[in-house]
Amino acid sequence: MDVLTIQNLNKNFGSKEVLGGLDMSVPEHSIFGFIGKNGAGKTTTMKAILGLLKADSGEIYVMGERVHFGQTNTNRHIGYLPDVPEFYSYMTPHEYLTLCGEVCGMGKADIVTRSKELLELVGLERERHRIKGFSRGMKQRLGIAQALLNRPKLLICDEPTSALDPAGRKEILDILLAAKEQTTVFFSTHILSDVERICTEAAFLNDGKIAMQGIISELRNKRSSNGFIIEIEKKEVRDTLTEAFSELQCTEENVLVFQGDGNHFFDIMKYISENKIPIQKIERIEPTLESLFLEVTK
Amino acid sequence: MKSLLTFMKKEYLETARTGKIVILILLFVLFGIMNPAVAKLTPWMMEMLSDSMAESGLIVTNVQVDALTSWTQFFKNIPFALIAFVLIFSDIFTKEYKSGTLLLVLTKGLSRYKVVLAKTALLLSLWTVGYGICSTITYGYNAYFWDNSITNNLFFSVIIWWLFGVWVVCLIVLFSSLLQNNAGVILCVGGTALSAYLLSIIPKVKTYSPAVLMNINSILMGIEEIDAYIKAIVMTVFLCIVCVAVSIPIVNKRQL
Repeated sequence: MDVLTIQNLNKNFGSKEVLGGLDMSVPEHSIFGFIGKNGAGKTTTMKAILGLLKADSGEIYVMGERVHFGQTNTNRHIGYLPDVPEFYSYMTPHEYLTLCGEVCGMGKADIVTRSKELLELVGLERERHRIKGFSRGMKQRLGIAQALLNRPKLLICDEPTSALDPAGRKEILDILLAAKEQTTVFFSTHILSDVERICTEAAFLNDGKIAMQGIISELRNKRSSNGFIIEIEKKEVRDTLTEAFSELQCTEENVLVFQGDGNHFFDIMKYISENKIPIQKIERIEPTLESLFLEVTK
Repeated sequence: MKSLLTFMKKEYLETARTGKIVILILLFVLFGIMNPAVAKLTPWMMEMLSDSMAESGLIVTNVQVDALTSWTQFFKNIPFALIAFVLIFSDIFTKEYKSGTLLLVLTKGLSRYKVVLAKTALLLSLWTVGYGICSTITYGYNAYFWDNSITNNLFFSVIIWWLFGVWVVCLIVLFSSLLQNNAGVILCVGGTALSAYLLSIIPKVKTYSPAVLMNINSILMGIEEIDAYIKAIVMTVFLCIVCVAVSIPIVNKRQL
């Protein structure tokens, strides 16, 4: 079942078209990476899903229910983490979670156990200070805790890792991975290594449309590469090889790149073995999300 | 209903922890003490100044002060307390729009109209308590030094000025729902109160203007009767309800 379905979503800011007929669906229990350049319309899409922003046309369904701007019952299915979450800084994390729990109508006992559980998950269980003094990473973690509080069916995170250092990023990604057990995670990002690390599915947003969507492994295979990299030790070897095969290009001092027919590469390997040419490494060029991203956003 | 109470609780916690309640209480206590103090000190100050005034040809005779002088001071000073109140609370909505703190509670399922109602309730209760402290202190000192009974319709006068303050509070709510920053809120609230005052110069409009509720001296001295204020009171109550009622659909349609 799809937790989130978007059909033909359009949004203009003045004369600038941000979303032009966006179609997308997010299946249950996936970690869905929503990839796009800065300013591609990721945050706009997310705010439209939350009913915080009025779309010009198009329909959004969360758990099969239509989203309406302004008054949104569908938000009870959603946990939201904005790119820079802002809390009431005079409260402690515990007080803040209690406020959120009461707002969404949870029972008292449930709030207590759930807050404890989540603060442990995000590593803030010992924090007794007010939110005022929190670092960005701590706020991000508290943001995830508040988003997961009412056991949402869909967790929406807007660039949760963009502003964090490598350690903070890893923590957030681990938490998101752990959250997969309970919910579907939909997060926007432009950091492709994050997507490769935790996502099961991804969609590329470009020019207000989804340029490509699918399961990560399938996305990679869509553009199977037939290139190879040969790493060598000595400069003379490089010269011998480039003289023998004109299609080998020297990209770095000791690196040769072959692009073309795979069968032809066997000839090169044969030549290498017959002449006993010392080689450090031969590697097939893996299609990366980065190359895909650059291709679809061209 | 429960979420409305929760959000109100949050509003009071915020006012307490950001120190606004302390400032507010100090402000109203100070204004409450100032009115009888100024009245009490007037004869003494006049005496001090009498020599220099005599040189310029002014002769100071025995200055009589009583509870009426003190209450006149009260109604002269209370507008400044109200201005301070507006300045302190002008950012009650705009701060949340700007920082984005509202975003999280709204996406948790809090209805937007409850935000408007909770903040209105907070402002009204603080204004009522503050104004109550201020007028009670003045009343107490006046009773101690002089006699409050020489004033006419004192209770009524105090109440209608409170009502004027309620109208200003509702204007804060209205303009906060419309505007993005608190400077705009201050300007618009001030501008509206000023235009109500200017409109009250026109005889036909005068009886309906909320600004009439600030014109207390004539009723205190017994020149005017309660009847003269009825139309303005009805009008003000009506405007208060309209302000809050209009704010709700505006906040509902606001893009955050």
